Amino acid sequence: MKIEDKHIDLWSKIGSRATFGMSLLEIQKEFQKLQIVTSDVSTSAGLDRFRKTYPEKFTDVGISEQNLIGVATGLSEVGFDVITTTFSPFQVLRCCEQIKNNLGYMKSKVTMVGLASGLVLGTLGFTHASIEEIGAIRSIPNINIISPADSLETVKSVYASLKQNKSTYIRLTGGQPNPKVYNQDYNFEIGKAIKLRNGEEIAVIVCGARVKDSLDARDKLFENYKKNISIYNFHTIKPIDEKMILKISKKYKYIVTIEEHNIIGGLGSAVAEVLSSVKENKSKLIKLGVKDTYPPGGEYSYLIKLLNLDSGSLYKQFKKILNI
Amino acid sequence: MDKKYKKVFIDALSLNGNQKVENIKYNEIDEWDSIGHMTLVSEIESAFNVTFDTDDIVNFSSYKEGKKILTKLGVKF
Amino acid sequence: MKSFNKKNISKFAKNLRKNILKMSLSAGAASSHFGGALSCIDIIAVLFNNVINFNSKNFKKQSRDRFILSKGHACLSLYSVLKEIDIISEKEILTFEKSNSFLLGHPVKNFDKGIELSTGSLGMGLSISMGIALGLKKNKLKSKVYTIIGDGECNEGAIWEVALSAPKFNLNNFCVIIDRNNFQQTGLGTEILNLNPLKDKWKSFNWDVIEIDGHDYLDIFNSLIKPSTKPKIIIAKTIKGKGFSFSENNNDWHHKVLTKNQYEEGIRELDQ
Repeated sequence: MKIEDKHIDLWSKIGSRATFGMSLLEIQKEFQKLQIVTSDVSTSAGLDRFRKTYPEKFTDVGISEQNLIGVATGLSEVGFDVITTTFSPFQVLRCCEQIKNNLGYMKSKVTMVGLASGLVLGTLGFTHASIEEIGAIRSIPNINIISPADSLETVKSVYASLKQNKSTYIRLTGGQPNPKVYNQDYNFEIGKAIKLRNGEEIAVIVCGARVKDSLDARDKLFENYKKNISIYNFHTIKPIDEKMILKISKKYKYIVTIEEHNIIGGLGSAVAEVLSSVKENKSKLIKLGVKDTYPPGGEYSYLIKLLNLDSGSLYKQFKKILNI
Repeated sequence: MDKKYKKVFIDALSLNGNQKVENIKYNEIDEWDSIGHMTLVSEIESAFNVTFDTDDIVNFSSYKEGKKILTKLGVKF
Repeated sequence: MKSFNKKNISKFAKNLRKNILKMSLSAGAASSHFGGALSCIDIIAVLFNNVINFNSKNFKKQSRDRFILSKGHACLSLYSVLKEIDIISEKEILTFEKSNSFLLGHPVKNFDKGIELSTGSLGMGLSISMGIALGLKKNKLKSKVYTIIGDGECNEGAIWEVALSAPKFNLNNFCVIIDRNNFQQTGLGTEILNLNPLKDKWKSFNWDVIEIDGHDYLDIFNSLIKPSTKPKIIIAKTIKGKGFSFSENNNDWHHKVLTKNQYEEGIRELDQ
């Protein structure tokens, strides 16, 4: 799939959800057996034009998420490349047992895209915002979990998921606009973390919309104190890039994980699990995220500040760790 | 400026010249659906070096309306 | 489709019941869901003997009809018929519920052995069946999907999501059979969660509804072959544990050990 710089700009402006829907117009050219299945969601996922242009590739089962996964499974069983989508709590938690049985246990292949995950829907409250769903499906075998860092990575994740043979959950975070982490097309591989910045002492292991803010915090640290820390985009939470974590554990004093998710069950936990297997691990792990609580509702920018996950707060925390 | 504005519309919405561009409205032609709208706003912002705020994006309901918004943002037609 | 012959079907059903006895005995202390397998075995007999386009020659082809046992705990009936149509062997069915067997107490998907899906969590098989029916239509295949659900299974919300949505897609290749034996795990369905009026419910969801005696072969045959422009649901009134005097209408046989004596009694009754 050819990706041009002007696409990257547009996708950044419109946010990851609209990017997802829009990119499918291109992606369906390569995947003739593509089938999008949703639960009464089209404009929320940028799918309106897809729905109108390719009605035979679009199935709406109504607000019935158990049936969403069941029907998606059936379509996959007869040879379709299936993508399901709805808002992340309903995409994962409402039909979690169907995900377990059909995709995990029976290994039918479906790509699930969870919309507006993390804190972006904070104004609607935490029935719609999602800070726990990675933890929920991480313990189901046979399912990849990806949290793309920006709109371009969203497209790369969807494409990569379709190209391989396991079920995948893609968790879309961030708002509109969705700041760019990548300015150009790049090599994306499921399960392979990407080192974005090279430095010392601190390795930041981050996913989703927190990547950009981590980069900004790192830049400010360098600007003000000439301190250079490393930033790793761990877009794939499962399978976690163990090799990379082991490498990191040998080189850095501090490992800071950052996510728009509970620190229990998500990226931070996955990293902790790997570190606990390292003999004589000398690196100290600090997990940043939502500290096992439901925050009050509020706008995205308000919530990330409240939870100390914005670039300003991250900058302060990096300084504190480095004792400056 | 008029020519430039018209060209952005034609390119962004992939219009074929059959419609009278000056009269088109959001959601009245297939090409100007929600996806077309996002692309159009983005290309106009790039071409004229402006930023639409949320109200602008919502109020941008027609070719003519867009001209008004650009004028407000300092573009001289 | 084979033309209706009561004698042939009777013989086929008798063999199916014999297989169930053998597997239950072989399961020993692990027990088996004996009653629920017997209530739907006559439906399965007619389906596989006369109606379904699914056999040892075509069971791996995309053009095959599909059979899904959504009430997966009745798996003895599925394994029994797969053996009877020579997809799995006598030796294999006797590994039922033994360690490392591919034949567990709920079906595990196995393409090479004719088991379409991993069912058993109630409500889920029906939803996947709907997806298969939809996919077959999109692929422009004439194949049909036959799914058996339990009436206890109709307590699950997931069933009603399918009830609501299948007519939207004009799935006239989708035939669902409710094994209406009026028993669930802890007792009578009508006492635990009354489904009545069941026919009215499905009719109001715009399905083609047929009520039959689930042990009358001609009734079963006619309902299965009746063409429809909509998804079809056959409400088959059945008897849990049907076929043996010791198990008929006795909910103890939902999940129970079959003793050697009972096995021998069962064989005697079949051979009469």
